[in-house]
Amino acid sequence: MQGNDHSIVRAVLAGDKDAYGTLVRANSAAVFRVAFRIAGNEADAEEIVQETFLRAYQRLEKFEQRSTFGTWVYRIAVNCALNRMGRPEIEAEYRHGEESDPEARTVQVATQDADPERVLLGREVSAAQEMAMQRLTATEKCAFVLRHLEERSMSEIAEVLGVAPNAAKQAVFRAVQKLRRELAPLRGNA
Amino acid sequence: MNHLSEEEQLDIYYEEGSEAAKAHLKGCRECSGEYAKFKRSLDAIKPEHVPQRGPEYGDCVWQALRPQLIPYEKKAAGWRGWSWWKIATATAACMALLTAAFIGGRYWENSKRSQPDLAANAQPQPRVVVVVLTDHLDRTERLLVQLNHADAGDKAENAQLQSEARELLASNRLYRVSASNEGDPALAGALDRLERVLVEVANDPHLSAADLDRVRKDMNTNGILFEVRVLLARKPNQEGGPTSAKGVTI
Repeated sequence: MQGNDHSIVRAVLAGDKDAYGTLVRANSAAVFRVAFRIAGNEADAEEIVQETFLRAYQRLEKFEQRSTFGTWVYRIAVNCALNRMGRPEIEAEYRHGEESDPEARTVQVATQDADPERVLLGREVSAAQEMAMQRLTATEKCAFVLRHLEERSMSEIAEVLGVAPNAAKQAVFRAVQKLRRELAPLRGNA
Repeated sequence: MNHLSEEEQLDIYYEEGSEAAKAHLKGCRECSGEYAKFKRSLDAIKPEHVPQRGPEYGDCVWQALRPQLIPYEKKAAGWRGWSWWKIATATAACMALLTAAFIGGRYWENSKRSQPDLAANAQPQPRVVVVVLTDHLDRTERLLVQLNHADAGDKAENAQLQSEARELLASNRLYRVSASNEGDPALAGALDRLERVLVEVANDPHLSAADLDRVRKDMNTNGILFEVRVLLARKPNQEGGPTSAKGVTI
């Protein structure tokens, strides 16, 4: 697959624009998945997918032989998502969320019984988790998503975020601490 | 060993914990209890449902993207695209050129050695050197004028100013050293003062309004500009001696 990727990239660089379609088709779903997990909504994820493939096309000459196109474009996708999340209006939105009454965010723990009330509480738990994720900084969220949900190694996360491995580890740790603190009321213990 | 910190528990959770930490966890009831709570809390954070995209999704992305892409221009194939006879011809041509240059050089050297160097004695300042230095002073004059009227807010202009200063700096050093060696203190002194301005401008990381003001005042750029204009007005051999000519041997 890696050799195939490189021959396609060579074809694109030689002027065959349509060859790029093969790479887009093969990697769109993976890029969408990580974009959705970082951005948290479909509309932003779709825009990140477009931006990622556009950026990748513009930088195709810098694509190095030692990685696959999938790995390379994955890194670009994470960076696009990070940039989008780091925009001032989004940060402001997060700050606004933080200013809201902490009491109002407390919800009851769902019981194990399968009834409509449990379903409703389950939704509330998901919403609380999403809110807690949104309160993380862009780097913390990204590092946590990559480690916890995408199961990437610390060195990969460090490379994608452009930081030292120790800094990536710290970002994951801070995210975990914040999430545990935020979600403690749901679990009924710290 | 002390009880496990939260960071160590996190390492163990992601299967990156040290052997010592793992051993401690097995033997310590308190840490086991804490870790069980820690694990439960992280296990509870499940990936949110990612909306499924069908097999046609890649096509949709490509169709939306395609009109935005400008095809790369075809590049020349380079050496790899050359056939063997093209390479052989090019090699033969290079060899012929090298041979001609070698023979021509030998012939020219011999003929030169046999004649006294009268022309060099008659014209102590080669014309080409004078032209080169004049060009350097012209460029310097333009840079100083630009510097005196620079607007700190215009980053593009400042970047161009710095880039020009860097280019001029190297040649300025060469001319200054040559002027000193040739015994032209006026030219060497002016170039020395000019060099300090060029160093300041080339190496300033921000080139803010304050920096520009400081360079203008401390370095007296107006005075240096005047000196450069005087040097530009000097004509070769105007003052009689070879050293007064506006040229240095490089």
